[in-house]
Amino acid sequence: MLSKKIIQLIEANALQLSNEIQQRLLIHPSTTSYRDIDEKTLHDWIYDVCSRFSYWLNEDRARGEVEQHYRNLGKERFKKDFELPQVISALYLTKRRLWEFMAASRQADSALNLNQIVEASFLLVRFFDHAVLHVTEGYEEMLQIEHGYEASLSKPEQLAQALEAKRQREELVYEEPKLPTLCFTKGMIRLG
Amino acid sequence: MLVKLIEMIEKNAETMAGELKSRLQTDPATPSLQTLDDRVLYEDIFEVYSRLGYWLLKDAEKGEVPVHYSAIGAQRFREGFPLHQVVHALVATKRHIWDTILEKGIMRTAKELDSAVDFITYLNRFFDMAIYYTTLGYYRALNLKSAS
Repeated sequence: MLSKKIIQLIEANALQLSNEIQQRLLIHPSTTSYRDIDEKTLHDWIYDVCSRFSYWLNEDRARGEVEQHYRNLGKERFKKDFELPQVISALYLTKRRLWEFMAASRQADSALNLNQIVEASFLLVRFFDHAVLHVTEGYEEMLQIEHGYEASLSKPEQLAQALEAKRQREELVYEEPKLPTLCFTKGMIRLG
Repeated sequence: MLVKLIEMIEKNAETMAGELKSRLQTDPATPSLQTLDDRVLYEDIFEVYSRLGYWLLKDAEKGEVPVHYSAIGAQRFREGFPLHQVVHALVATKRHIWDTILEKGIMRTAKELDSAVDFITYLNRFFDMAIYYTTLGYYRALNLKSAS
């Protein structure tokens, strides 16, 4: 795998990257809730992502363990009264710093090096896409459990009603135009 | 070269929007999107692809991106869409751009790959902010409703 070298570089610099990401989360206006987390806990969470980056980027984990881990994170953040946009922003700030680090290692004249970066970016983006999606699912699950909130189109009967309403709207749009009937009376054409 | 990549997506916007619309309407992960009128879903996607340069080269943290996507988040909340399915659709919109670029095979030389790295930066910055503000709009609408 081409991207291996870049991923190893992140793991080798995990401590420095974790410190930088932590500082960003603590000062960024979109992640103010993270100022209430114990600093060591926050650092450990970021360090876990950076130091075991190859572990988290593994494709099979993207389907199973990443899903479970980030669903649970969404639930946990909900229980600690974090707003969902803040949790998502924290994930994106982490991703952004990791991407800056990867992109900074580029040598504009080396196709091999650039290919490594492009491939690593694909893995990075896929991992954070999954993380954001599953954090949202976990958070929504807690909204339903704790506040009884469920989006109406999550409910099978309301989804079926909305689909039926759409079908009816489409029928109106695609209805065949009714042409006048032609009647022939002694060589004359009369519209029926 | 960055402009070339953006123009390639804009030129193929019609086909790409049609492809993604069909995919989202049959994806078991996004059943709620099947309730949107075909034209509405198509135009939402086409709006991003056909003006990709406009969206990508803006400062995604200020101005139109926060306003536009917060409004979409609030609207999707009112319409009853589950948030994770809205997020899934945005992720799929981004991924289809990248898949198209890989498919067209226009990243062979060092110069093309160098531009691709810039393109990835712009693309992700825009979609990260689009997803963040959509979530923010949705979340705020949800809180307002609970409070009322």
